[in-house]
Amino acid sequence: MRTLIRVIKFTGQSLWRNAWLSLITLTIFVLTLMTVNAVLLVNVVTSSAIRAVQNEVQVAVYFVPGTSQETEKSVRGYLLGLSQVKTVEVITADQALQNFKDKNAGDPTVLAALDEVGGNPFGDAVVVSANNPQDFDFILQAIKTPEYAPSIKQTDYTDYQTVISKLTTFTDKLRIAGLILAGFFALISILIIFNAIRIAIYVHRDEIGIMKLVGAQDWFIRAPFLLEAVLLSLLATGVMAGVVLVSTKALDVPLMQYFGQVNVSLWAYFTSNALIIFGGEFLALALLSSLTTVFAMRKHLRV
Amino acid sequence: MIRFTNISKVYKPNMTALHGVSFHVKPGEFVSIVGSSGSGKTTLAKLLFAEEKPTSGKIVVGDWDITSIHRSEIPTLRRQIGVVFQDFKLLSRKTVYENVAFALEVAGAANVRIKEVVPQVLKIVGLGDKHERYPHQLSGGEQQRVSIARALVHRPKIIVADEPTGNLDTVTSREIIELLKKINEFGTTVVLVTHDRDIVNALKKRVLTINGGKIVSDVEHGKYVLG
Repeated sequence: MRTLIRVIKFTGQSLWRNAWLSLITLTIFVLTLMTVNAVLLVNVVTSSAIRAVQNEVQVAVYFVPGTSQETEKSVRGYLLGLSQVKTVEVITADQALQNFKDKNAGDPTVLAALDEVGGNPFGDAVVVSANNPQDFDFILQAIKTPEYAPSIKQTDYTDYQTVISKLTTFTDKLRIAGLILAGFFALISILIIFNAIRIAIYVHRDEIGIMKLVGAQDWFIRAPFLLEAVLLSLLATGVMAGVVLVSTKALDVPLMQYFGQVNVSLWAYFTSNALIIFGGEFLALALLSSLTTVFAMRKHLRV
Repeated sequence: MIRFTNISKVYKPNMTALHGVSFHVKPGEFVSIVGSSGSGKTTLAKLLFAEEKPTSGKIVVGDWDITSIHRSEIPTLRRQIGVVFQDFKLLSRKTVYENVAFALEVAGAANVRIKEVVPQVLKIVGLGDKHERYPHQLSGGEQQRVSIARALVHRPKIIVADEPTGNLDTVTSREIIELLKKINEFGTTVVLVTHDRDIVNALKKRVLTINGGKIVSDVEHGKYVLG
């Protein structure tokens, strides 16, 4: 107990009396965690962006004009029964005509052409959104049953097919790039922390040698340095958690406005996963700095 | 108290620092080990507090054969031998009091004992009023006194002083030697490693002269004999 108190006392003295070195090491720790959290943040934002785009992807199924309400209802029910389908919205021919007119209100040529055609050229339609864009293939195959195929005039999936395919490829690449980036930053972080600790220990090399010469056991010399590394890791994680929570809180409103219906709350993400994110970061940082401390001290303990 | 038997020390790849050195220091003796630079006298001191291990031979301190001392036993040995260095080797971020107390703290001494012993030894070395100073706020002589106080704090049977006056002026050097003599009069064996002719001649104590890694003379009330 007496020894433990002394180790804590020496740690406190060392942190205070080497305030600049402690501050520099702490700053490096914070900057390292910042890169890790920045990668995490970018990952959350891109995932939300992808989700937002995916939500926009819908497939319209147009019925042959004159298709009975019962058939349309039946198709809708059938589609909703598929687990891959998220929503099915019915658009009547009148709604479709109105939407078209609204969309081309500023283009008299198009509106004149519509008058030329006479009547309503649009049929009823259902707009289907899927849980996963990759499911559209399945949904469109599923609708081509002998029962419903004659009632379906066309589907406008062809255009979306390219978009979905591109989007899937893009998101997959983005995920791989994110992983590579995270790995790259992790490697840089490890090297920076390794060097920061080595410099800190190098500054203390004479002190370590003197401690040995006056009869200190290796563990008694190591313990304050290890405790210092753990305390700095804890402090750095605390600072980082504060920075992340304050900045994500500030970012939430503009992000939600930008992404519209997709719920992108970085603050909610970081608070609900706080223990895993910041706890994990602290453990990783403490482990890395402690191992580096032991490694860096080895040379100076040989007195 | 200290017995070196046929000690040799060879540094890799092929530098012989000591060759077949044998001597015996009795309890309470004051022995000066003299020699020019590179003669092997500092290596001899380092062997005493196990900073180096001999290549061959046998070293006994008290009843303890430290020839092949295990790494984990070195701290115990160092708490029994007080060591004083030319460059003082003080912890720059600790006060005078803390530097001396540290030697007791690492040994697990109780706070009550530390509070009792540290002021005593600081008074003995004449620094009773400078407890809160940091090493950089002291003169060279005062720093060496702190170093001696730290060496004394365990009440060791042996004090090894490796060139303790090497960084000091003549007057301060005399004061430090007087302090070591005083410590010796209390019964502590003192091994003084030096190349200072005046100090050795003034001491009129036993002188072991080393040259080329060998003991070339061992005189009871000796003088500095090298050129």
